[in-house]
Amino acid sequence: MTIVLDSLRYLAYILIFPGFLFCFLTGMLLCGIDRKLVARMQKRIGPPVLQPFYDFFKLLGKETIVPAAANRVVFLAAPLVGLAAQVVLQLFIPVFSFSAFRGVADVIVVLYLLLIPALSVILGAASSGSPYAGVGLSREMVTILAVELPLVLVLLAVAKTVGNAMGTGLCFSLSQIAEYQAANGSLITRLSMLPAVAAMLLIIPGETGNHPFDAAEAETEICEGMLAEYSGAPLAVYKLSHAVKLLTMTSLFVALFLGGIGGAVEHLLVGLAPAIAGGLAIVIEIIILFLLCIVLVALCCSLVHAVTARLRIEQLFKYYWTVVAGLALISVVLAWYGL
Amino acid sequence: MTHYPILAIMAYFLGAFLIVIFGRNRAVRNTLGFLGTAVPLCLLIMLAKPILANGEIIAYWMGNRVPAGGYAIGIALEVDAFGLFFGLLIATAVFVAMIYSFSYMSHDDNEPQYYTLFLMLCGGVMGLVLSGDLFNMFIMVEILTFAAVALTAFRNTVFGALEAAFKYLVVGCIGSTCILAGTIMLYAQAHTLNFAQLAAFLPGNLNIATIIAYALLFIGFCTKAFLVPFHPLAADAHGAAPAPVSVLISGVLTKSGLYGIIRLTYILFRTMNLGTVQFWLVFLGSVSMFLCVTMALAQHDFKRLLAFHSISQIGYVLTAAGLATALGVSSGLYHAMNHTLFKGLLFLCAGAVLHETGTTDLDRLGGLSKKMPVTTVLFLVGAFSISGIPPFNGFASKWLIYQATYQKAVESGNIGFMLVTVCCLVTSTLTLASFVKVTQSVFFGQLPKEYEHVKEVPFGMRLGMGILAALCILTGIFPGFVQNWLTGPAARAVFQANGYIDAMMGAGYADKFGLADTLPVSFTSVGVWSPISWLCLLAIMLLAVAIVAITSKYDAVSKAAKQTDPLTLEALESATAAYLPTAPANPAPRYATGHAASGKYELFFGGEESVFSQVGGDDLFWGFKHNWRHYFKFMHELHSGIVNDYSLWAVVALALAMLYAMIIL
Repeated sequence: MTIVLDSLRYLAYILIFPGFLFCFLTGMLLCGIDRKLVARMQKRIGPPVLQPFYDFFKLLGKETIVPAAANRVVFLAAPLVGLAAQVVLQLFIPVFSFSAFRGVADVIVVLYLLLIPALSVILGAASSGSPYAGVGLSREMVTILAVELPLVLVLLAVAKTVGNAMGTGLCFSLSQIAEYQAANGSLITRLSMLPAVAAMLLIIPGETGNHPFDAAEAETEICEGMLAEYSGAPLAVYKLSHAVKLLTMTSLFVALFLGGIGGAVEHLLVGLAPAIAGGLAIVIEIIILFLLCIVLVALCCSLVHAVTARLRIEQLFKYYWTVVAGLALISVVLAWYGL
Repeated sequence: MTHYPILAIMAYFLGAFLIVIFGRNRAVRNTLGFLGTAVPLCLLIMLAKPILANGEIIAYWMGNRVPAGGYAIGIALEVDAFGLFFGLLIATAVFVAMIYSFSYMSHDDNEPQYYTLFLMLCGGVMGLVLSGDLFNMFIMVEILTFAAVALTAFRNTVFGALEAAFKYLVVGCIGSTCILAGTIMLYAQAHTLNFAQLAAFLPGNLNIATIIAYALLFIGFCTKAFLVPFHPLAADAHGAAPAPVSVLISGVLTKSGLYGIIRLTYILFRTMNLGTVQFWLVFLGSVSMFLCVTMALAQHDFKRLLAFHSISQIGYVLTAAGLATALGVSSGLYHAMNHTLFKGLLFLCAGAVLHETGTTDLDRLGGLSKKMPVTTVLFLVGAFSISGIPPFNGFASKWLIYQATYQKAVESGNIGFMLVTVCCLVTSTLTLASFVKVTQSVFFGQLPKEYEHVKEVPFGMRLGMGILAALCILTGIFPGFVQNWLTGPAARAVFQANGYIDAMMGAGYADKFGLADTLPVSFTSVGVWSPISWLCLLAIMLLAVAIVAITSKYDAVSKAAKQTDPLTLEALESATAAYLPTAPANPAPRYATGHAASGKYELFFGGEESVFSQVGGDDLFWGFKHNWRHYFKFMHELHSGIVNDYSLWAVVALALAMLYAMIIL
């Protein structure tokens, strides 16, 4: 009986929250809000906030064309694998004190899982045989290389800070990082973490391929690069993946640096009966998470998008490996000496 | 059971000699070759239970000349878990390469000679890892070096084959000479060549002579593992050698070098507790890892690219082994095993491409996935494994290596080890980048007209690749099994030198020298990774997504796509030309990579190159390379391909190693 209940519970995690349905709704909303904000900042009216939903369902009804030069199986399977991996990744990122699958993955695993969606886009693009996609995928790969180094450094800095405090020397578990912050306040309040926070804020638009780090898509230049040959349902799946990636990166930021809010919420509900408090806490935390994600998207994606022009790929690479990696490195060194 | 090790070695050599005599007939030859590699594999698998699971050590004295009066006179074989681990790896890789060879080499002349040399090489490596005697080890090194040189030049009509073999011969001989010189110096000091006796004698007698011998032996084994600065030899050799030979050189021969280094440092000299030795190994490993992966990014030949990656992965192993922690050694051995599997697979895929198209030039290939679907899938398994994509095996071992380096940084309080972690992670991403390049250039993209007749490779070759691919996935999904039953016992054996000595020389022998065993630190893994639950999640998720996708007409209306106007390269070229009237007609690449200027990536970047590219837009990752252009230019000039330079590097490396060894003292 417990097995059945457990599996039902996990199925609910996977399909509803924090899995597929949650990712779909919030990711798309974030995407819509981003588009609306950019438009308002540029003094345009912009699309309705629900426009990504309309686009998604309209694309599902459109014809799917597989190019003659493409490898059919890879071309069609790549978007699905990418989306699935993206949602699985979201399952591993704790929502404050709530984590659906604890003890399954840690920071390094998350770092690698971030590669799979990008890799599936790259493989799909490669299999399409289009030269535009070829240009796009090479730029995407360089973008991944560029972002990887600062991201590694940020994660090491966090792991070291939490590990120092817990006396284990290092802590790679995301759920432990969340618990530590719930008990001891958010990491963003640490002076040594501030450079890492700045670096992570700059990593978010790079990972999600937003302006000015969107050399890989560059719709005005190489026709959206890797998506050039996609149409219909696979394109819809890609758009959805991209939207979920917004959610993943912003909620990863929240999990790494703003985990203290979870503790505050629990503190607030301390008088209530445990069963009600637990349920209520999760609801409040989800709402807070979503609001924080909106703030982060507005800050890192919309604002930056509205005021900058696209970087060339080699400028992008240099920027990440010097400025952003430098910021993250300062944090690592500070964390190492226990500041 | 005690006879199994010698029978395993003999089976290879016997197979080699019988093929010389009876190898004219194809059926006889193939049967002998199959038996010659299958029998040792079976024998070693039968040894797995007593040695790996129960921790026994087999000591075998040839002609039953057991040691008398505390002196080992006879020639000995000694098989502990560490040796058997490498033996199993080698036997597996060799077996698969043999199966693959039956189809792959069937169009070559001189097949009997090929199989003879092949089995001689296998026998040499097997003898090396099972030997309990330093001089025997040297003899095996000589056998395997010359067999490898001859096999490198086996297709001597291939451009560069003889040159590669010559370079290998020269530098390989420098290495063998170092090993011989080191052996002589140790014999002069200890009056014995037996490992166990040396292991008892040396730790208490580290003087100038023995430490110089250590440096000599170390450099000798470095040439066998092709570590920096011996890496250009591997690139040349792999470029010319037939694919199964590449499997032997990369999967088997380099392992013998690694085996030598670890055996030497951990058991013979027991110098692993010295910070200077750890630094030396970790530094050499990290340099090999990073330098070779960047060299690989600059390659335009499939097999040369794989060759550089091979050394990069060996660098991982050496780095992990140099940490001198139980987790470090175990993760290093895990990666060594994975390297044999996935690199073997990748070389066989390169061989399959060469077999069908006649070239491994990345600039000329393209779009083979439609013609060779099975090879493509198997290649992707190998590429994902080497890039460390979960849940393939490369991920499991690299993940353990990161943890080991980070743990070491925390334990020793040395921030330098954390830089090693970062170096490992970045190298891994660079590896992924270069395999994206291979995937895009060979298997996807546009199919050139000349390869439209290409077919899938024969069953024998697919079988060989399939076995390795299956092993790659299995060892990735069950990391716990591998750690408990393969790498764990092997790593424990590395730390239990006293047990090794006692098994050979009789119980209590080690105590006479007052040697304390460095007991392994317990395996504390600091992270969590359970591939099976992750796979379950991914499977359920994929199912859910697929159901949604299919119900929403994901595939229903897709056309089998006959575009009336397919987007060809020519069409794009004219389109780009229209946008860029100032583009030079044939921009000369300023960063020459030794291939025709009309590579296909030049076309990809036609626009960018003419505007601002400094590196030459002929590469898929010029955005990365542009920022590193000075580095690449330097490396390009450094790897001159002149054997005099490489010999000079070898001598310089030897001199440095000797100088550094005196610091250890």
